Amino acid sequence: MTAENPPVAVSTTATASKGGGGFSWAALFFLAPAALLLLVFLLFPTVYTIALSFNRGRAGEFTEWTGLDNWIRLFTEDPNFLRLGFPPSGALWNNVLWLVFYVSLVVLAGLIIAVMATRVRYEAWIKAIVFLPQAIAATSLAVIWSFVYAPDRNTGLMNAVLGIADIGPVALLGNPSTVNWALIAVGIWGSVGFATVILSAAIKGISSEVLEAARVDGANETQIFWRIIVPMVSLPIAVVAVTLVVNVIKLFDLIFVMTQGGPGTSSRVIAFSMYQDAFRQGQYGYGAAIAVVMVVLLLPVMIFNVRRFRAEAVQQ
Amino acid sequence: MRKFRLVAPFMTAVLVLTACGNGDGGDDGDADVPEGDGEITVTSLWGGTEQEAFEAVLAAFEEESGITATYESQRTEYASFLRNRIQGGNPPDVAIIPGIGTLRSLARDGSLISISELGIAQSDIEGNYAPGILDVGVVDDELYGIMVKLNSKSTIFYSPERFAEMGVEPAETWDDLVALTESIKEAGSTPWALGAQDSWTLTDWFEITYLKMHGTEAYDTLFSPDGDWTDETVTATIDKMLEILNEENIEGGVDGSLATLFVAAIGKVFSTSPSAELYYGGGFVGGIATGADVNPDLAGQEGEAIDWFGFPTIDGNGEGLVTYGGDVMAALVNDSDVAAFMEYLTTADAGQVWAEGGTIISPIVDVDTGVYPTVLIQAEADQVTSAEAVRFDGSDLLPGTDLGAVLQSALRGEDMGPILEEFQTATSTAWENE
Repeated sequence: MTAENPPVAVSTTATASKGGGGFSWAALFFLAPAALLLLVFLLFPTVYTIALSFNRGRAGEFTEWTGLDNWIRLFTEDPNFLRLGFPPSGALWNNVLWLVFYVSLVVLAGLIIAVMATRVRYEAWIKAIVFLPQAIAATSLAVIWSFVYAPDRNTGLMNAVLGIADIGPVALLGNPSTVNWALIAVGIWGSVGFATVILSAAIKGISSEVLEAARVDGANETQIFWRIIVPMVSLPIAVVAVTLVVNVIKLFDLIFVMTQGGPGTSSRVIAFSMYQDAFRQGQYGYGAAIAVVMVVLLLPVMIFNVRRFRAEAVQQ
Repeated sequence: MRKFRLVAPFMTAVLVLTACGNGDGGDDGDADVPEGDGEITVTSLWGGTEQEAFEAVLAAFEEESGITATYESQRTEYASFLRNRIQGGNPPDVAIIPGIGTLRSLARDGSLISISELGIAQSDIEGNYAPGILDVGVVDDELYGIMVKLNSKSTIFYSPERFAEMGVEPAETWDDLVALTESIKEAGSTPWALGAQDSWTLTDWFEITYLKMHGTEAYDTLFSPDGDWTDETVTATIDKMLEILNEENIEGGVDGSLATLFVAAIGKVFSTSPSAELYYGGGFVGGIATGADVNPDLAGQEGEAIDWFGFPTIDGNGEGLVTYGGDVMAALVNDSDVAAFMEYLTTADAGQVWAEGGTIISPIVDVDTGVYPTVLIQAEADQVTSAEAVRFDGSDLLPGTDLGAVLQSALRGEDMGPILEEFQTATSTAWENE
């Protein structure tokens, strides 16, 4: 995004092929390996999954055409996937909660930490500490936090601390009204470092003249943050946000390790529902329908991403 | 979502082309059972002492038949593991399957070999089992799974020593049990431990309470496609359970229990620093409590530091009724070795070897209860064999809908009307889509 070289390289090839209108065996030759891989590992599974979502799919094969049955069941008869009402619930709704709170809070916290850190001498230390969770595998992270949240004061750090103030013990993971928030908090803890590091690099790229000019014009620090820094790093923010959105839609490991979608089904997310229905229950057709929902949710994000890359290429 | 199943058609072809001719049980039916290669693989989710006990059975089988049987342990995600191996064209020869829902779904997928296809006649082995036991493994009128081990789920564990200190006694009726709960609180302790994060502990509670209150007929209907979860017997059962399972009686309260796994809950009663007095669960609780996960010092003190009493009668009903859980074995490959193995496991010899390991109750009637190594298991075997009627763990019969989640909501005191209606819809849809 910030590097100069790759877009330049792209534009040279574009010139070499003189607009790329004609068919070229050489181009086909060079594209074939990549195209073949995409065909086998991307296109075929996608088409297969879409087709399977209209099938009973016993043992993952096309056994019985069921038309829209899976789809109707998914959206109208499966409260574990989506239950409308007030408040709504179900896996799809939980993903919405994650999308709103996890993405916005990670970006906000990352931005604040990045801005604050640039002003102190021990910046490298702060960034290293905040980035540390990124180095931990998601599964280990989930196990660690299961211990932190454990209701037993001898095991659970959180309840040990609360115990000093004579509160609790509280079982955040055992209560459907708190479980999603407890999980989102873990997700945020695990991703803030990523946002911090990228945004901090972007903030460093803002030329000091701009900031000084603003200060000379009498802007206070809050105004500088919202009016100068945030707009100037809006592109990196978008990059971080898109990555986080993709993280949310494919979210599985935290839920699998920490709650198994429970208590009950209150912390299920889409990917967990797919695993549960397809691989544990053997309802492959139904699971395929859930997988297609994930693809459909990811499409706009991908289109946004591709558009942005194109726009950048044009700017060059 | 992808599959690589190339082997199945070849196997079918081999099956059609090959005739059987082996001595060890492969030749006594009219099915064409292909000759095996002298080796079989058996999978299950047991590890530790359970695995050792089962491996002793495999060794005895090898001695008798010359066929090498290898055990593969898959502790978690067992259903996913089986399905993946089947789709990969590499199924184990024999799988021991803990959920009847999984057995049904695999049988309908065409992944299992029925017992008659293996050349074993159901009538030949029926006499080895108590009535009704084999029926659990029947899918669409065909026997696919044979019950190999079971555990009573009608046992309440406690410490006789601590009971003596508190001056309380085991309960015989529900009212006694409620009174016992109160007495324990008066004695300054917490009555019950509950590991409700493992929601099947709650389904076990529900099943035994339902069976005791409403009898076998209502029980059979409820856990069949005709079951009605909005029926008042269901709400009455839940209300009954909550007389005991509530904030005041459970260690850690309702929320605490919902974040506690069942082994941790057993530890609350039987660890070196206990914080509760009663734990209801399957007969396997004894093995876990005296094992490495909880308190190995208890081993050898069965009957003194740890014992159980039978789940009480409710309002005078349910005398002699017992719920039990168990695992069935099913064949995924059709050859003479597999047939020989399955047949061996239906014999009293196999049951005897396995029972000596002390981890299971054998469903085979001719196994002498004297071979069980501890008094806890002997008593459990007596309870099951002398029962007036036994009923299989109902939630294991359901088509994958989560009764445990419903009961977790009940434990939290939520309004059960809409939840049960929703569960009824989900369950009847799931039965239809099985």
